[in-house]
Amino acid sequence: MTHKGTKTFIAQRGTAVLMLPLVMWFLYSVVANAGASHEEVRAWLAGPLNAALMAALIVIGCVHMRIGLNEIIDDYIDGGSRGVVKLLNLFACLGAALLALFSLFTLAA
Amino acid sequence: MASDMATARPTAPPTSLPPRPTAPHLQIWRWTITMASSITHRATGVALYSGTIVLAIWVFAAAQGGETFAKVAGFLASPLGVFILAGYCWALIFHTLNGLRHLYWDTGRGFDLKTATATAWATYAASVVLAAIVVFAGLSARGAL
Repeated sequence: MTHKGTKTFIAQRGTAVLMLPLVMWFLYSVVANAGASHEEVRAWLAGPLNAALMAALIVIGCVHMRIGLNEIIDDYIDGGSRGVVKLLNLFACLGAALLALFSLFTLAA
Repeated sequence: MASDMATARPTAPPTSLPPRPTAPHLQIWRWTITMASSITHRATGVALYSGTIVLAIWVFAAAQGGETFAKVAGFLASPLGVFILAGYCWALIFHTLNGLRHLYWDTGRGFDLKTATATAWATYAASVVLAAIVVFAGLSARGAL
């Protein structure tokens, strides 16, 4: 994980910029779907544009939060456990992204 | 380090080094709004980490049957769920607005004390107002108000 500082720095800013419009869409969507029934939510998430935006929000968000938590781990965890905790961080972010993608594909099918 | 010190002071090598001093940062520094916003950025980032996992679970529940979705949606509609969602909403807005501050700093601007302090206060104020608007709009749309 060494000698990747510049790449990580740029990735964190790139994902941050991509998240700006996605977060605005998400906040609007949360209000628009407040109190929606299961069928309404299914139909909404099955729409290609909504599915793509939700996938982008979660996947890009997971990349961003993995880098962010890695930075916190670097600051507070020393020694041998650092690598293990970073691996757990990767699994959590990968797991959330894959769960969402799998679910969105299921809804679209 | 120990061998360096031993060669520098050959007459009395320390048998064991005293523990290295650590910075008592949170206990000793006077709180400033810029310091608070920096800590809040990190705290909201960690909170959003959990929030993203909840969002992924919500999408998963929607893809599963109506029973699974009813459980998740029912919890999120409970008083505790609404509290969590309101907090998530504020954290998302704060982290986004403070992220804009960070992106502005990345251009090399906005670092002077006056600007940094003003943008920190503005971020707190705007995040609270915007979060209140979104939560109010959400609860109204749900018919809870």
